[in-house]
Amino acid sequence: MLKIQNVKKRFIRVNEKKQKEEFWADKDISFEAKDGTIIGILGPNGAGKTTLLRMIAGILEPTNGSIEFDGLNFKENEIEIKKNLAYLSGNTKIYQTLTTYELLKMCCDFYGVENHLAKKRIEQIATNLEMNSFLYNKIGKLSTGQMQRVNIARCLVHDPKYYILDEATSGLDIISSQIILDFIKKEKERGKTILYSTHYMEEAENICDEVIMIHKGNIIKKGTPESILKDTKTSNLRDAFFKLIEGEQNEK
Amino acid sequence: MKNNLKNIFKKEIREMFRDKKSLSMMLIIPLMIPLLVLGMSALFEMQLNKPIEQYNKIGFAYELSEVEQNILKEMNIDYQIKTLEELEESYKRNEINLYVKKINNTYELHGNDKESTTFAKNLIDSYFNVYKEYLQQEYLNKNNINPTDILQIINVENKIVEEETYFANYITNYAFLFIVMAITVSATYPATDSTAGEKERGTLETLLTFPIRSKDIILGKFLSVSLSSIITGFISLILTIISLILAGKMFKIYEGIDLMLPPTSLLFASIVILCYSFLISGLCISIASRQKSFKEAQSALTPLTFISFFPGMIAFMINLETTPVLSCVPFLNFTLLFTDITNNNANILNIILMLISTFIVITLVLTIIIKQYKSENVLFKS
Repeated sequence: MLKIQNVKKRFIRVNEKKQKEEFWADKDISFEAKDGTIIGILGPNGAGKTTLLRMIAGILEPTNGSIEFDGLNFKENEIEIKKNLAYLSGNTKIYQTLTTYELLKMCCDFYGVENHLAKKRIEQIATNLEMNSFLYNKIGKLSTGQMQRVNIARCLVHDPKYYILDEATSGLDIISSQIILDFIKKEKERGKTILYSTHYMEEAENICDEVIMIHKGNIIKKGTPESILKDTKTSNLRDAFFKLIEGEQNEK
Repeated sequence: MKNNLKNIFKKEIREMFRDKKSLSMMLIIPLMIPLLVLGMSALFEMQLNKPIEQYNKIGFAYELSEVEQNILKEMNIDYQIKTLEELEESYKRNEINLYVKKINNTYELHGNDKESTTFAKNLIDSYFNVYKEYLQQEYLNKNNINPTDILQIINVENKIVEEETYFANYITNYAFLFIVMAITVSATYPATDSTAGEKERGTLETLLTFPIRSKDIILGKFLSVSLSSIITGFISLILTIISLILAGKMFKIYEGIDLMLPPTSLLFASIVILCYSFLISGLCISIASRQKSFKEAQSALTPLTFISFFPGMIAFMINLETTPVLSCVPFLNFTLLFTDITNNNANILNIILMLISTFIVITLVLTIIIKQYKSENVLFKS
């Protein structure tokens, strides 16, 4: 189980007057993700989703609060946690000079997958994701959709327990997006925990077990999509989100 | 997972050998050495063996005695006797290389800073020495004094290394200094590409999500950059030796000099190349990994290129000699030891001190950068 408790993240940035100022990307985030669930992190651009997911993936360090994977934290068990994690964002870049096979083999090596297992696993993943036609092509020469499939394959080689997907469908065409959504569903069926951030509310409504709505670094609502719709008396998550923001502004 | 240092090294080497720029830095820079050695040798030889016909036309604005004319003929000086105005015109038209004016007992040499005038001036200096000696002998003879008693009252024997050897040593030292520079250039590009370049391409974020310790990432990158520098260093050393042997056969300035390094000197040269490659790679990695972009990293590494070269050049200029203390000074020690190696007087103590000081510097630099190499610092600190 993934447990996030009172996580805050502060950045120091330089303003137009060249003075340093504090900026809280995430203010006080707490939630839990049970095994075998898909948690949707929803919010507009700049809400703090990417910062939150980067902290969960161990790329950023929280200013306050704790992140625990099955009782382990990054300070003491970084390598152990990362062995069970896969992080994929819409901006994730992969090595252009390698072939798809070389990249996947390199990832297997990094995760400590034994050689005889690695070859089998790569072949299996390539078949499942229909990558055989470009398995030995240089990544730099692949299309955006093919590249995103390679990225998914990269996340699968070590069979992780947790997936952290940040705007993974952003900028992709409808077919490539569907490949990622199918992958998420399949992995959930295999008992994996998936944190999935997006600003496409309809997408989240369809696949998430639970949704966490973030606005300006704060959680404004969390629950199942059905419960959120019921509480906000709306028919979709987009309307629900706007209603919640309106309510927040009125309160102020 | 325990092998992640090996995996990072493998990844970096694969990227490096597939990148045309890294490869060309590694392999093409050493090719400059034969050009430098052969070019400098040809230049110096041209200077030393300049045909006398190119600078022996000397004008005299006064009447020359028979004795003077004989000395001039003996010295193969093509002399002309004209008025001062005529000589000035001849000099302007490049018909003569220098002209001499006489006022009482003073002889004035006229000309400007042309190369042929400089050579002609050396020639006429020799002529006046001979003529002066003749006049002194004649004076002493007239006064019944044995000229030998006065003119050779002391004997001076010239044991100074001949000018030809000086030029040969100069070229050899510069060739070895160029090895240092080639190694620096070879380390700079892959170090920039594997740190700031990887950050700019966005793949570093991906790399940092893998279960790899910062230590393995830095050491893997350090070892791959070191390998590139070592390859350049040894190619440069081989090309230096080959081009010196070739130059030795082609140019007279190397006559009487054994240009083949003995096995011990080759061993010492290899140790210096290895140490310098590791040091410069460590420094390049530590500087470039702190930069946000490839361009920033290149700018940050430019001073290092100069630092690697200038101490050695200054050491040549002031004829600095290797001491145990100087053997511990990074950058300076490598050039000084190379000079000792080419002169076959390298001291084992100085080599050991250089090894120890290099090891300490590399360890310090890498320890600092490994401690700071947390994903947040590396990716987002500005």
